[in-house]
Amino acid sequence: MGKAVAIIGTGQTKHGRRSDVCYPDLVKEAVSAALMDAGITLKDIDGVVLGTMPSMMEGVSSTHFYFAEAMGAVGKPVMKVETCGSTGQSIGHCGFFWVASGMADIVLVVGSEKMSEGDGQATMTTVFDPFFQRTFAAGAPGVFTMQSMEWMYRFKIPEEKGREAAAMISVSNHDNAMDNPYAHIRTRVTMDDVKNARVITYPVRLLDVCPASDGACAVVFASERTAKKICKKPAWIKGLGFRGEEFFYGESDKAIWMSATEAAKEAYQQAGIRNPMKQLDVAELYNPFTYQEMIFYECFGFCPRGEAPDYVLKGAFKKGGQLPCCPSGGTLCTNPIGATGLIRLAEAALQVTGKAGARQVEGAKLALSHAMGGVDQFNAVTILGSKL
Amino acid sequence: MRRVAITHVAQSSGAESRESLMDFTYQINREILDKAGLKREDVGCIIAGSADIFHSGLSCANAFDWDGIGAFLKEGSRAEESAMSFIYGCMRILSGHYDTVLVTALVKGSENPDNDPITSFYGDPFYLRPVGINESVVAAMQMRQYMERYKVTEEQCAKVAVKNLANALFNPYADRKRRVSLKDVMSSERVYDPLKALECAPKSDGVVSVLLASESRAKKLTKKPVWFAGYGCSMDHFNPGDRDLLNGQLKTAAAAAYKMAGVRDPKKKIDVAEVCEPYAFQELLWCEQLGFCGEGGGGKLIDSGATQMDGALPVNPSGGVLATNPYPARGLYRIAEAALQIKGEAGEHQVGKKVKTALAHSTHGFGGQCHSVVILSA
Repeated sequence: MGKAVAIIGTGQTKHGRRSDVCYPDLVKEAVSAALMDAGITLKDIDGVVLGTMPSMMEGVSSTHFYFAEAMGAVGKPVMKVETCGSTGQSIGHCGFFWVASGMADIVLVVGSEKMSEGDGQATMTTVFDPFFQRTFAAGAPGVFTMQSMEWMYRFKIPEEKGREAAAMISVSNHDNAMDNPYAHIRTRVTMDDVKNARVITYPVRLLDVCPASDGACAVVFASERTAKKICKKPAWIKGLGFRGEEFFYGESDKAIWMSATEAAKEAYQQAGIRNPMKQLDVAELYNPFTYQEMIFYECFGFCPRGEAPDYVLKGAFKKGGQLPCCPSGGTLCTNPIGATGLIRLAEAALQVTGKAGARQVEGAKLALSHAMGGVDQFNAVTILGSKL
Repeated sequence: MRRVAITHVAQSSGAESRESLMDFTYQINREILDKAGLKREDVGCIIAGSADIFHSGLSCANAFDWDGIGAFLKEGSRAEESAMSFIYGCMRILSGHYDTVLVTALVKGSENPDNDPITSFYGDPFYLRPVGINESVVAAMQMRQYMERYKVTEEQCAKVAVKNLANALFNPYADRKRRVSLKDVMSSERVYDPLKALECAPKSDGVVSVLLASESRAKKLTKKPVWFAGYGCSMDHFNPGDRDLLNGQLKTAAAAAYKMAGVRDPKKKIDVAEVCEPYAFQELLWCEQLGFCGEGGGGKLIDSGATQMDGALPVNPSGGVLATNPYPARGLYRIAEAALQIKGEAGEHQVGKKVKTALAHSTHGFGGQCHSVVILSA
């Protein structure tokens, strides 16, 4: 079914507070890096896909106009695809389908965010409807905390155990970010640092939460023929899934989280994955909150429901563990939202092509990348492999 | 290459709706599924077309849209402009991964501020926005330049509004329904000189759905599939001052679409066109760039009557965007109307001649920064 599509190049900016560049220049930095990595020029690009967060966060609406030059799109067809936080994965999916459709041979996919110039939490509050939900919305942490509590209560996870496991996730993500030259937060933290950090929304503390980053990412997709011709080590797209659930937060079960479960199921089916824990070599999850990362482990079938803290405490997802998760330091250490899902995809591509440098998981052949968006509403998964 | 067909279309009226945005969306989605005899579960994938800046004060438009478009736990995505959503739907089928895709675009202009303050946000906050720029301001500059360079008259530009609003009287879904004379248009308020109020599109509500299917599925779903034959899109420079406003990217987009569809002589081959003309003169300029007449020949084209409902190449028999302007959905409205003309199901605004090939065009951005062209065939 369908034509094979590969990733032949990726590029990232140095993420963090980038007051040294304007927003279009930030985009250009990632685009230039991706083109150089792929060994091609703008002339080779047949189409450009862009995704960012909504206008309120950007300060400019319809950013595909503003970035026309920066992403090299002048005179080329453009697709503007957005699905909130899952945008980064959704634009990757669009790049895949554009090439798989046969209407383009090489497509450039760009995701970006300059969060230091906007108000992320205020923007996210406007995702809620103005009549019923917005009055009690407290940005992203409020939502994800409710979900974490719902999950711990449902599976009778003692609060202490949940706290311990979440702290371990924070420590290992921060450790991993030390190996990633692009990461925003690069400091080592201890278990005590996490447990004693300032409360944001109980039980979530400062070091359980991602930063607001400036950053951009670009990924080049190509057809099988072109990939084989011009790329020594392409990363092949093996499976992809996107699922969304109800808009009103209270209408769905966030402890079981069907959108995450079903998106992974779809991607696994396409990629022929039956036992993800065994078959996957590495996973790049979208983990803006430590507690939430554990819910993803369960939804993606890495462990049985309610047992994620046990697996974490055993070190199953650490570097060198059974299934290393977020060797890049993850979203927890770098979150330029519109780019974040694409960074997960780019990092997965680096892993399966052996180009991840100090954060390389030895011999990684099959990788999962993921993003989550909306008010816990959307999940997207893409599986990449080193072999066609 | 696989083939993609539009099997069914459904659209709402452009007039102000009393429904909530979610119910408004749901009703049209329900209607198209009923027409096709499908359940939501039968559809392979769902693509939304909506823009958060035109979205009733809600960010992340896809979040709110998801229930109304019937996408609960289904594969799907959203593009910000509805012609892009349509193309994305076609890509999904051409890839071989899906046999049916539902594309739905939506907006309630009645719950939004006016289009001008909204489009001012296309401008960057440092150089463009402080001078009071918006889409109408750039259009006015473009119109002035158009008249000066090609000696097209103000009356010729105004005639487009007279023609399209007359056509709209035969379209039950049109928003602005009013017979206007040339004198009415010429004497309407000069909002941005030389643009007059009746030469500028209104702000409309609108939900439009198009069901796409692969060749084998399409033949089972309908007796009259409308085939997707060609597509082109092109992006221009951001700063209007960096480009020739009369020589933008539409020619590039059209050339790509014609090449894909095998159209050599658009003037002969295209039977009807639905052109996105938020400003009356733009229909003339776009017609030139689509190859319907020579450079600077737009004024003579409208004078000749060729683009009238009964002309040789009817343009905007639906009344176009001047009659109905659900901003981010208007591209898909053009595509839906072009499909109806090919199916022969446009009702009272069905053109007189037999339609085998139709063109739909969409544009957004200052002075047409981004253009998309879609060719459909019987």
